[in-house]
Amino acid sequence: MTVGAETIRQQATRPLVASVRDLRVYFEAKAGRVHAVDGVSFEIRDGETLGLVGETGCGKSVTARSFIRLVPTPPGIYAGGEIDFWSTEARRTGGDPVDLLEIPHDDMLAIRGDRIAMIFQDPGKALNPALSIRSQMAEVFYQHRSEEILMAMGPDVPWIVRRAARQQTTGIERMLLKIPPWRAKAAQLRRMVDDLVSQALTETQIANPRKIMDSYPHELSGGMKQRVLIAQALACNPDLLIADEPTTALDVTIQARILELIAELQERLETSVLYISHDLSLVKEICDRVAVMYAGRIVETGTTEEIFSNPAHPYTRGLMAAVPSATHKRGKLAAIEGTVPELIDPPPSCRFNTRCPYAVDICRTTDPTDVDLGESHRVACFIYDTSLDSAVRPSRERRTS
Amino acid sequence: MVDVLAPETATVRVDGPWTVRLRRLADVSKQVLSNPTTLVGLVIIIALLSLTVLAPVLTEPNFPNPYQMPRDWGARDAPPGTPGHILGTTSTGGDVFYGVVWGARTSLRLSLIVVGVTVTVGTIVGSLAGFIGGKLDEILMRTVDILLAIPELIFALAIAAVLGPSFGNIIFALSVVFWVKYARIIRGQIIHVKQNEYVDAARITGDSKLNIYRRDVLPNSVTPVIVQATLDMGGIVLTAATLSFIGLAEAGLAEWGVLVSDGQAGISAGKWWASTFPGLMVFLWALAFNLVGDGMRDVLDPRTEGR
Amino acid sequence: MTTMSTERGTRQKSTDDRAVITLRGVEKYFPIKEGALQRVVGQVRAVDGVSFEVRPGETMGLVGESGCGKTTLGRCISGLASPTGGKIYFRLPDAAAARLDEIDAVPENERTQEQRKEVARIDAEHGITQLSGVGWRTYRRNCQVVFQDSFSSLNPRQLVKDIVGRPLRVYREASGQELTEKVVSLLESVGLGRQHLYRYPHQFSGGQRQRISIARALALDPEFIVLDEPTSALDVSVQAQILNLLHELQSERGLTYLFISHDLGVVRLMSDRIAVMYLGKVAEHGTAHELFEDPRHPYTEALLAANPDISAEASEMKGLSGTVPDPANPPEGCRFHTRCPVATPACGWEVDDAVAWLQTNETLLAGLLDVERRSNFEATLVFSDAAAAGAVDDALQNANVPAPMMNALADLSSDGTRVHIRFTAVEPVALEDIGGGHLTACILHTSQGRDNRE
Repeated sequence: MTVGAETIRQQATRPLVASVRDLRVYFEAKAGRVHAVDGVSFEIRDGETLGLVGETGCGKSVTARSFIRLVPTPPGIYAGGEIDFWSTEARRTGGDPVDLLEIPHDDMLAIRGDRIAMIFQDPGKALNPALSIRSQMAEVFYQHRSEEILMAMGPDVPWIVRRAARQQTTGIERMLLKIPPWRAKAAQLRRMVDDLVSQALTETQIANPRKIMDSYPHELSGGMKQRVLIAQALACNPDLLIADEPTTALDVTIQARILELIAELQERLETSVLYISHDLSLVKEICDRVAVMYAGRIVETGTTEEIFSNPAHPYTRGLMAAVPSATHKRGKLAAIEGTVPELIDPPPSCRFNTRCPYAVDICRTTDPTDVDLGESHRVACFIYDTSLDSAVRPSRERRTS
Repeated sequence: MVDVLAPETATVRVDGPWTVRLRRLADVSKQVLSNPTTLVGLVIIIALLSLTVLAPVLTEPNFPNPYQMPRDWGARDAPPGTPGHILGTTSTGGDVFYGVVWGARTSLRLSLIVVGVTVTVGTIVGSLAGFIGGKLDEILMRTVDILLAIPELIFALAIAAVLGPSFGNIIFALSVVFWVKYARIIRGQIIHVKQNEYVDAARITGDSKLNIYRRDVLPNSVTPVIVQATLDMGGIVLTAATLSFIGLAEAGLAEWGVLVSDGQAGISAGKWWASTFPGLMVFLWALAFNLVGDGMRDVLDPRTEGR
Repeated sequence: MTTMSTERGTRQKSTDDRAVITLRGVEKYFPIKEGALQRVVGQVRAVDGVSFEVRPGETMGLVGESGCGKTTLGRCISGLASPTGGKIYFRLPDAAAARLDEIDAVPENERTQEQRKEVARIDAEHGITQLSGVGWRTYRRNCQVVFQDSFSSLNPRQLVKDIVGRPLRVYREASGQELTEKVVSLLESVGLGRQHLYRYPHQFSGGQRQRISIARALALDPEFIVLDEPTSALDVSVQAQILNLLHELQSERGLTYLFISHDLGVVRLMSDRIAVMYLGKVAEHGTAHELFEDPRHPYTEALLAANPDISAEASEMKGLSGTVPDPANPPEGCRFHTRCPVATPACGWEVDDAVAWLQTNETLLAGLLDVERRSNFEATLVFSDAAAAGAVDDALQNANVPAPMMNALADLSSDGTRVHIRFTAVEPVALEDIGGGHLTACILHTSQGRDNRE
């Protein structure tokens, strides 16, 4: 939606914001290791919306959470690969990216919420029901913008108020802040943060920010909560916004508004968006590029145009044929037979081979490699691997099941 | 999740219903036992139960009433290790070992009766309140609230004191007082379970309310009650010991609380064994059931159920 | 219509002359209780006057967003909840329906004893809240439900055989080996098999559990199944399998479906006729073709516009702004007017709309002390000082106010700290047939609206 009339080639040369290379995330289970994400690679470029689409259990949420290391690491294991990230700073100065999987915890804390923000599926669960909206949103500013706020407050800011801004105060110090000389300065600090919060809320087209700030999450509707979360996520003007099915829990008319909002904010703030969804029709409407995931791997990547007008991978084709739309007749949805296989210590193979109508021997014994189909269209399927002998190679003309 | 739909599975092993149910029970048991502390608790319980079973073998049952401490006036205040009295004797010549062993029986009888009665009564009241709801729920729950406002121990104490010192009265008092929390627990669970759609589905099937209660609501509500009952098996003995310690049981009873009380006077004079060993038993009993109860709670937590 | 009969003969032959389910003015209100004594202070009007019928063999789609009342209505129809007003009939013959229409046209107090008795008789024979004995059992057997959440709709402690076989046991249709065989045949008809008999629900995937639910619903060979969002919790590929299965079963067994969903694509695929619900009332009702190709209600249009369609050209999805009215106190006129992009002055603007508009402007709102209501359409706003009152008076006259609301304002005057507003009162909007069974409740398309406009 933001790229407009750019050609695919122009799009492909925009600077990189993030590059995921051979990411592997496994989970320890009693039966073995579950290969939730099993060699995932893709890129996110400046200003674009990349859709990561797939069904339950395909690993898209785990992939997204790996960016900010939200995967719980007792059962989870970052087993390989890297996620390189270029912040605006780095891109401007031509500096090196950081590997989000390797950087120390403090650096990650600094990036989370500031350079990379995330919004989740259920807005009700993402907000603390015991805190007012004001307190929750103020958190973001105290965490990431305290220095700027302190500078804006002028030259003589008492030490105790500085500590308050950096959220370093102890209980006693907080009591001391109630005493006059310091009370006025503390109040000024709060007012400045309130203004920032109000501003952030106004950006998301909330008509009455002060009223919302005083409210508690249970007093707000689903759509309003999601707006608050978007405001919170974009408060610090992040370089990358990760949206994990943000509208699944909302009604369709509200969903459309929220998506309009995200698109508009993205354009204005020049943020890149990684949009996770299971809804193909939605992804078609709002994403520039799409990556289709199945059973822990990316099976196909390309621009929206390429994927939807010329889907290559049998899974992508099957998925599209299974979505009810105006062109379908009752009872004639092309269902994909079978179910997603177990991902525990799987052998090398194409994960889709158990359900693919064209599967042959090589599909069951070897991991497929990426094949380039066009400008930016890639697919991981032996059907398109021209280096293979035609005797061994599967074909869309030959159904084997 | 197993790919159950795959038509290629040649070996279609159809397990019978009881095989499947037993296997599920075995899985749950294995989980419970995999926790080392739970295992310890279970071992202690088995040891205690063996004591109750083997009581007539380990000691000569007292005549006429084996639950009365025998009096050996010839060997009073004998220290542990005295021949014939491994753990020593009390100030009235009662064999401490005898008290320990037969006290286990008393405790088992006590906890089984009290837990049995309280769980039953509490479940009935709580089920009526939760399942039927409405005015009945209001009345029952207000009654429960009022009863819960009275401290349990004091309440039991008052009843037992009024009825007169006897262990039977202690059992009665505890049964009257301690059912209330079960009513609360199961009512809460039932209200929660009722919201599940399988209860609606049972209504759609046209099944009678009683059957719906029996098959859908009760089995799925019973887990916290099981956990609480296990914990209470230990706790009740502790409470009863407290009551008999203050003198609400008949004198000379082979019961751990009574023994601790009787042996108290001798402690300052250095005769520690008459109170310590029975006291240790109370501790072990309560500890064992607490460990097992906690282990069961971890396993039977609804969040981990259904995996 | 094909003749359908089972060994038990609960299905009648030649079912052209009756409906399966008939709703007449169905209402379901939930009391709002407040305070220590739990006084009833209001009613949430979840379903507020819904009438339609479902004919044998068809699939009726019920679509709407959260809070529209479709789930509550589904529960009333399937007998899980009782309506607080109106009637639901099972297998109401067309002749009886015609009689009810005739009698309803006569005002309550003018009806004869004869007429009242006739209504009572029809209610006793077909009204589901009054059925008993054989009548009740027939209804109960023939009206089954498939729920949305496949996990919580199966008892986790029961084996599949017991779950699916339970209806057969309750009605004593079979036992022992015969029961087992019947269960196996039911499982096979939904794509499962004998090997699944003795397993627990948690051992299956979501799609398989939904198949088990369907098998259970089919156990008594019912005529009518209420499907409450049966595929909303499933992945796309699994959803397709289940929808295909449902269609197949319908053809094989001559089933009638009520298909409740928020997903327009699925509803379009599965339904013959569709009713769109909004805030407890039906906004539009017609065939699937009519609603999707020629919608006659702005809400239906908004739903279509907001719905991402994979087969469409890249279009802009459009959402709806504005707030949904309080279901405890809905507008007297059109309930959709607060968010309608094409609202007219005659749509039923009320005091609540003016207050809501005021709340979007902090400075104007600051001075407001109280709202003295004379009716839903007339009130006096009391401010803290004359300046605040004057500011609001001015603001209500300039272009920041939505044009239809401004035009609906019949009277606006201020007096010191008080501002008096009065909107033109409107009649409640009725569903009207605009041709061939296509009904809508939007005055832009109905004669009621045409009258208003003249």
